[in-house]
Amino acid sequence: MTILEVRDLKKTYTGRFGAQRVEALKGVSFTVEAGEYVAIMGESGSGKTTLLNVLAALDKPTGGTVLLDGRDLSTVRDGEIAAFRRENLGFVFQEFNLLDTFSIRDNILLPLVLGGVRANELEERLIPVAASLGITEILDKYPYEVSGGQKQRAAAARALITRPKLLLADEPTGALDSQSSSELLRVFEQINRAGHTILMVTHSTDAASHAKRVLFIRDGVVFHQLYRGESTNEQLYQKISDTLTMLRRGGAAE
Amino acid sequence: MSLYFRIAAQNVRKNYRFFIPRILTEAGLLACLYIVYTLVRDERMSSVKGGAYLPTFMVIGVAVISLLSVILMLYTNSFLMKQRKREFGLYNVLGMEKRHVGKVLFWEGAIGSVLGVFLGLLLGVLFYKLSALLICRLLAVDSVLGFYYVRAETLIPPALFFLAIDLFTTLVNWIGLARMKPVELLSSAQTGEREPRVRWLMLLVGAASLGAGYWLSVSTENPLRAIVLFFVAVFLVILGTYFLFVTGTTFVLKRLKANRSYYYQKRHMTAVSGLLYRMKQNAVGLASICILATGVLVMISTTVSLYAGTEQTLDRNYPRHELYLSADYDTADGELLPIPFEAMREIITDAGARCGVPVRQIEQQRYLTVGYAFENGVCVTDRNEGSWTNAADFIYLTAGAYETLTGEAVTLAPDELAFCVIAANAPKEHYELETLTIGGQVYRIKAYLPSFPIETAMISTNRYGVVVADDAVLEAIYLDQREAYGETYCSSFTDRVCVSFQDRSRVRALGTEVDKAISMGLYTWVEAQPDHTADVTWHSAWDAYWESAEAVYGMYGTFLFLGILLGLVCLFATALIIYYKQISEGYEDRGRYQIMEKIGMSQTEVRASIRSQVLLVFFLPLAAAAVHVCFAFPMLLRLLRLLLLSSTGLFVACTAVTFAVFALVYVAIYSVTARTYYKIVH
Repeated sequence: MTILEVRDLKKTYTGRFGAQRVEALKGVSFTVEAGEYVAIMGESGSGKTTLLNVLAALDKPTGGTVLLDGRDLSTVRDGEIAAFRRENLGFVFQEFNLLDTFSIRDNILLPLVLGGVRANELEERLIPVAASLGITEILDKYPYEVSGGQKQRAAAARALITRPKLLLADEPTGALDSQSSSELLRVFEQINRAGHTILMVTHSTDAASHAKRVLFIRDGVVFHQLYRGESTNEQLYQKISDTLTMLRRGGAAE
Repeated sequence: MSLYFRIAAQNVRKNYRFFIPRILTEAGLLACLYIVYTLVRDERMSSVKGGAYLPTFMVIGVAVISLLSVILMLYTNSFLMKQRKREFGLYNVLGMEKRHVGKVLFWEGAIGSVLGVFLGLLLGVLFYKLSALLICRLLAVDSVLGFYYVRAETLIPPALFFLAIDLFTTLVNWIGLARMKPVELLSSAQTGEREPRVRWLMLLVGAASLGAGYWLSVSTENPLRAIVLFFVAVFLVILGTYFLFVTGTTFVLKRLKANRSYYYQKRHMTAVSGLLYRMKQNAVGLASICILATGVLVMISTTVSLYAGTEQTLDRNYPRHELYLSADYDTADGELLPIPFEAMREIITDAGARCGVPVRQIEQQRYLTVGYAFENGVCVTDRNEGSWTNAADFIYLTAGAYETLTGEAVTLAPDELAFCVIAANAPKEHYELETLTIGGQVYRIKAYLPSFPIETAMISTNRYGVVVADDAVLEAIYLDQREAYGETYCSSFTDRVCVSFQDRSRVRALGTEVDKAISMGLYTWVEAQPDHTADVTWHSAWDAYWESAEAVYGMYGTFLFLGILLGLVCLFATALIIYYKQISEGYEDRGRYQIMEKIGMSQTEVRASIRSQVLLVFFLPLAAAAVHVCFAFPMLLRLLRLLLLSSTGLFVACTAVTFAVFALVYVAIYSVTARTYYKIVH
């Protein structure tokens, strides 16, 4: 079943006086099936952040369509967008984006509370998610009291607790040390095995090598894609590496 | 111009959100200080009718405004420095040494200082003229000032005072700078803050202190005791307010947070936890706003009602007569003889006629006033035994004199008397006494009189009127107190002439003429006596309606002006604190606002949440101030009674109007600063 379908997506930024036009996305098309784990790779300026913002309904495309679970994002009314995002999408950010005025527990519960879930139901929803991410111990601590890896797992818990159709991750390992990174990536694999669909934007080869499929974006178009197939993480890592080298050389040859 | 000066000038421009209020604060405070300082020194103002009170009371103004200026300027400065810590860290990292940053700071201070002082003096000179006109209006005299008062002697000291404050703040900043470590500075904003804890001891002390303050105000009956206890109550309430704002709010919010079904709701969750942190940082500032607001309300409502009640006060103290006069002259052989009533009548009638203010009636009063410690119907004459809490003045008249004055006859046996409670503050049981014990002698109270014909003006202790059978009884009472108090301290009989004129408002305007004419008449009369001294000397005691009117208008008008000015300064301080709070919170909330939007809170929801928090934070002090004023009310009313204001209704009205006006101004300040806040957040 297709969860996400992106068709000929275009985004053009116009400078303040209309003089400069930057085409960030020039026609991106791809689909994500339910249960997939897709990594999107690209260098700075390749358009991957713009793509993520459009998918997250934080930004509107200039052309093309995004269908999430069959629903066209452009048909969601402005007033509904926040609720739509809350119900259908989960986010993990590079900078964690935990609120320092909340304990880890309250940070995780916040989307549910905003969605109007009753107080006595909250704990039932929290316990399994926290247990699966290994953060049961730190629920009553505050963000500034825990490590970066723990913060990111708490952020993942916050993203998953609403049972989203799609988990969007923007450079989730970007602010983590290598130890915490690999821990988090294992957690992501485990989440994926449990049935969650993940779309991760990254420029880390290591992070991408944990995905089932890797899309490469350059200059606003999908340039190439790799399937894991039967490869191990190490083998996929090597393939990605080769592809990146090829891309770079190809770029230089043009 | 040096490089540092240019950097400083650029910084001032770039950080206008912080510097403009700093400059305005300095200018506003300096203008107020200049005005009160000039009022102390300006002899043209102190020489107008009733203006004699100005120098004395304006000295209070100078003291209060100076103190507030130091506090507010330091507050403003500390705020500025805190906001710019990162900037200084950046300078340091970019290779500027601390002494270079110090030079930039110096020039920033200098620019602010020069602009502030210049603007302040300009405003001061402009508004001095306005103030002088207002005072003339309040003192009910014609304006005497046709030009601006600009003298170096009143311009320089306030300006120097503010330059000294600025120099001091620069020193403080240098010391702060020397202690800074650049790495810490750069990351200072990143460290998370701990959730505040409830400090139980502080909470209990705060609640007890506030309760005690309120209780003192409500329970203190005796106005003289109220004077002393008022300041105790003020201190207790201030202490209680600070403590309760700091801990009480945390306590309540923690309780709300602990209540899961309340806390985990869309509306409450972000607001409660947001407030918990907000209160931690703002409690002291909010308590200060509350205190300042209460100060403004109390100062303005009391001074306004005193002033508004002036006519009432005058009428109450001069119900029937406009002039009380007694006069004696020295004889050649060293004796002091009273000028007879008939002669006085003639002199006064003549003087009135000559000044165009005809006399309606003249009467003679002879009475005795004695001070006692009065308890349970017993008058105690022992000087050491009587404490000031139950001090009372007794005014004695004989039945004959009473009849002459009122036209009503009272028949009394030697052991009987008629009693009248003149003071409004006397306890209830004084209206139900059976007997009075005076000088060891027990008298039966035959009748309670509804009113007493002797008015003694401007006295605030409890007063009682007593009518005794005849001169013999009066003499006995006189001798008794003379024996008890001794020759030097005992009271003697008052003989006075009471005059009422036909047109009260006319005699008020022409009072000084009447004074002169009577003095002339007395001189002529004494000179005509065969036994007068070589240089014709006489002594007279005056109590004139027109002089009191001048004094009361002078005093209450000055009070009112001071109340308005200090009220404005407090309001200004309030506005400043609110403004800086809004700005610093805006910068802090920006990050949170963005995160909440990312995780699926709509813009309207975020805005509603922030709005409700901010509203609560800023209207809590106003509400607390309203409660303070309500509880202060009974005590203030008693204090105002001492100052001879008797109308409760007037005071209620003045307080209500003051509060309404203040609330409006507060809302205006709030909405202006809220706009700045939203601009920062977006």
